[in-house]
Amino acid sequence: MRVPSCGWRVAVAGALLLVLLAACSAPEKQAEKVIRVTRNIGGREGFRIHFEAWKAAFEKQNPGWKMELIDLGNASGADFYKSKIATGDLPDIVMTWQLAKFLSDGGHLIPLSDEFYGKFGIPPPPPYKGKRYTTQSGIQVQGLAVNRKMWNDAGITEPPATWDEFLADLQKVKDRGYTPLVYGGKDWSAFMPLFLSLAANLYHDRPTPGKPSFTKLRDERKVLFATDPTARLILQRVAELMDRFVPKGAGSDGYNEQQRDFYGGKGATWMMGCWLGGDLEPHQVDFEVEYWPVPSMTGKSPVFIQTSEIPNGWAITTSASGEKLTKAISALELFFDPQVYQLFLNGEMQIGLAERVNAKAPKCASAPVQKFVDSMVASVKRYGTTPGWHNALDDFPPLSFEHVMRAVSQELLAGNRDYDKLLKMLDDEWDQGRKGE
Amino acid sequence: MPPAQASASPPAASLPHPSSRRRGAWRQRLACVVLVGPALVLYAGFMVVPALLGGCYSLTDWNGWTADATFIGLANFRDLGKDDRFWTAARFTLFETALIVLFFTFGSLVLAVLLDRVTRMKGLIRGLFFYPFVLSMLVSGLLFNYLANYREGAVNLLLRWLGLEAWTQDWMGSPDWVPYFIFALVAWSALGFFTTLYLANLQTVPVELYEAARMDGAGAVRVFTHIQVPLLLPTITTNSVLALITGINLFGQIVVTTEGGPGFRTVTISYYIYQLGVLSNRQGYASAVSVATFFALVVVACIQVSLMRRRTVAL
Repeated sequence: MRVPSCGWRVAVAGALLLVLLAACSAPEKQAEKVIRVTRNIGGREGFRIHFEAWKAAFEKQNPGWKMELIDLGNASGADFYKSKIATGDLPDIVMTWQLAKFLSDGGHLIPLSDEFYGKFGIPPPPPYKGKRYTTQSGIQVQGLAVNRKMWNDAGITEPPATWDEFLADLQKVKDRGYTPLVYGGKDWSAFMPLFLSLAANLYHDRPTPGKPSFTKLRDERKVLFATDPTARLILQRVAELMDRFVPKGAGSDGYNEQQRDFYGGKGATWMMGCWLGGDLEPHQVDFEVEYWPVPSMTGKSPVFIQTSEIPNGWAITTSASGEKLTKAISALELFFDPQVYQLFLNGEMQIGLAERVNAKAPKCASAPVQKFVDSMVASVKRYGTTPGWHNALDDFPPLSFEHVMRAVSQELLAGNRDYDKLLKMLDDEWDQGRKGE
Repeated sequence: MPPAQASASPPAASLPHPSSRRRGAWRQRLACVVLVGPALVLYAGFMVVPALLGGCYSLTDWNGWTADATFIGLANFRDLGKDDRFWTAARFTLFETALIVLFFTFGSLVLAVLLDRVTRMKGLIRGLFFYPFVLSMLVSGLLFNYLANYREGAVNLLLRWLGLEAWTQDWMGSPDWVPYFIFALVAWSALGFFTTLYLANLQTVPVELYEAARMDGAGAVRVFTHIQVPLLLPTITTNSVLALITGINLFGQIVVTTEGGPGFRTVTISYYIYQLGVLSNRQGYASAVSVATFFALVVVACIQVSLMRRRTVAL
């Protein structure tokens, strides 16, 4: 074969191509005076409004500096953070959720001082390996949202105290011709009844030095789901709820369908976190929604599950150093600017936690939303909260436990009543998850 | 001197100068490097190196959050043998793969032969079968999500409209139906592709063979079994291997539709690797599952290709 005498041209073209590829793949040079912050906005208008206010407050107080949003959407952030750790490019401030443990274990977080918490009257979060990293933003509770009119029509005005009462009340609502429960088995939200039941019964009492949590006991294998009578009871009672009140076909519905049904006035009860209140206005809900505690299966008092009690909120990463670290601390402090914090509470439907900040609860112009807020605040005061298993970063189930709760819930919905097998699934996944920590 | 030798040895005067020959060879090598190099670098960077790293991580307990990983030898592989969820995922993957291989190897073969006989609106009809393959997996998955919804999905709406309410099912939520739901999604998406491969091969069958068969009084079935199938064997091999790969790699379809549910019933091996690595933070163990699966697949593919080759030679 005759080689064309244009080898050098080919070489130059190849080299240019390589340069072009390298240029395209090179990371965008970070502007120096930018604080990058993660947030799970994902289309939630309230979250966006809060972030905009936070950003404006930061940029006003720190001329020449910018706050850049990295929207995690509806993802947990685990994938994103892992990829950024791999490339050494973690944002300066990260929303942590339950990931604070992994981030701090990897040495990616900078501890906050006790003065930070004292400045705003925030109860300091439980320390993790002697240090605290997160801002502790507010009180987030989970319980039962009820369509006031439907429950009134059934003659029920007070939250049920026990699971038996709850089932009996749902029956009355059903007898009035309403869909008593909004439920879907397709996505993460499938685990809500099981999660609330486990948290309210297996974890009802706060742990003390003499009485450790179920989590600690399970880690030491002093208890197992497979042999724990309360765990078995919980599965049986949740199965009863599904058998009696979840219609056929709910397995193909997810969070979106539940939202649409409840906000559309087609369902009387929704077992969901308080953040649902933040969507009442965008969905133009014009009926009254009350927020009730989780009824007990074990004779204990009904209670809300406070999922924000573990260290949560935002934390500064090791990406922020020198002047950036000072600015990152400034950004965290401005989170508690009264206006910014008020918008945070509004967007998240959380109750204020920072005593020295003049924003105590969500405030909304919409009457149904404000009624929901008032109902939630009054109910939380009346019935109290339990952290469930949200005790501390080292007193928390494996992250993957959520997935097995969903899987078990789906099995229950599909009619699987092999409780031994289902309880074993919980145990197996617990052990599996722990190996990843 | 025999003429052949004469033509093989040109006169010395026409030979290029040795330095010119060396320059030519150098240019040829340079052209090879330039043309193949970028692809090779990309392939090595994005395929070979990660695969080798995965092999290394499979011997560690790395969780993905820390820089350091502890070497634990073959412990992950020992765990694999006792991992019920892995074997459940493997069984489901093999079940789906069996359906997919059978359907794409033989179902699309029959369809291709039928489509080959179509003479009117040939392009349109073939296009209709091929267009789902053009859609992204995400779009196909979401479409099937809507189709399969119990209350408002098109399938159940149609059944209700036909007065067949009793036949309506929770296609995605019922353990009995969900494996077929996943299969239907894959079949619908890729049928056009596999059929097109057969159609392309069918165009190469000499017309004379058909004419001879017709003169010998062979019917459509005999033409199919004695002419078309033997001549399509290379494509049958290709399609069966590609279908095997499609089945074993089932991942996107699961992410978009069932996320492994109900329970863990539709967790495939690929999805399980994702669950382990991303959701359970067991990157090391996830790598071990990947490595074990890779070697199992190499063995299966070798056996499959060897069997098909033997069959081709026998024919």
